[in-house]
Amino acid sequence: MRRYFFEILALALIGGSMFFFKESIDYLSRRDYIAALVVMVIGISVITVGKEMARLALVQRD
Amino acid sequence: MPVPVPLRAPARARIRLRASATIHAVIDGATTAFDAPMPRRWRTFADAVALALGLNVWLSLVLVPAIHVGALGSAARVALVALPLAALGAGIWRRSELLLLGAFPSALLVPISIEPAIASPHLYGPVRFLVVAAGIVAYLLSGSFFAAFHEPAVPVSMRPLASAAAARPARWRRRERVYWELTVLAVLCPALGLYWVNFDPGIAGFLARMYAGRVAGMLTLLNVAVLALWLILYLHVFLGALRPHRTGDRDVVTDLAIARTEAQKGRPRLRFHVAVAGALVFMGLLVYLRHL
Repeated sequence: MRRYFFEILALALIGGSMFFFKESIDYLSRRDYIAALVVMVIGISVITVGKEMARLALVQRD
Repeated sequence: MPVPVPLRAPARARIRLRASATIHAVIDGATTAFDAPMPRRWRTFADAVALALGLNVWLSLVLVPAIHVGALGSAARVALVALPLAALGAGIWRRSELLLLGAFPSALLVPISIEPAIASPHLYGPVRFLVVAAGIVAYLLSGSFFAAFHEPAVPVSMRPLASAAAARPARWRRRERVYWELTVLAVLCPALGLYWVNFDPGIAGFLARMYAGRVAGMLTLLNVAVLALWLILYLHVFLGALRPHRTGDRDVVTDLAIARTEAQKGRPRLRFHVAVAGALVFMGLLVYLRHL
């Protein structure tokens, strides 16, 4: 059961991180460079957590 | 079942196995040649696939848009547009992964960087963008697969292993599923980024308002930024998750041992906690900046 949980979390986090990158592009288009950088770091952090979840999903034993 | 015949030491010493397309076994002065030349049909098929899909990418990404925007006005421009073909031809001739998967895609960007209007979203539209993106993904995936495909020599005899009859373990099926999921995400993520940059109405309106007359150049810059960001993410996230599962590469045996140790840890590593803390801190900072 845990492996599915980790798998779903990995998909949600990696997919969800795209939202932050889109927000970052929006901030860039509004010339709000600081906010764009902050949101990009949030996106990278979220996708890193997603990667860790994917790793945990792979190492889960039956 | 064949019973192995024990050989005397001098006879064993004369056995020479040469790992090449042709295997020769020299036993006691008598030469038995298992002439099993490497079949070339797969290589020819791989070359044909790479050529067809590469030409499709070049046509849809460079040539047709270049004709539309009138970027073939001089001999130098024609040579520039034809430059990717040289990289593609050299890659197929040399059967080089570096040329096919590195030089050719990079050469496609050269005419676009000189004439940014070639990549203008006015020429594409969402549907054509999806078709061209599918063509590029098909070229990269098939090129990568066939470049790494090595057809083994025809075996002299075959005997199935006992484990071959057993069903594939659930663990391997799950791994394969995660591999496919990561592959799909690896295609979707850059496509979404490029789609937003080129077709999001808000961004298009802003660029038209702020960079009138320079929209194509700014779009090219943003596209390159999206691709650069994507490459960083790909190296650290997607390859990062798969790296501990690579096998068969002598050069990374040491790294594999370290990575395998890391991969077997069933608990989140330090970077997980750092990433969670970083996300929370920067979210707080963003809220603070918004209400400053």
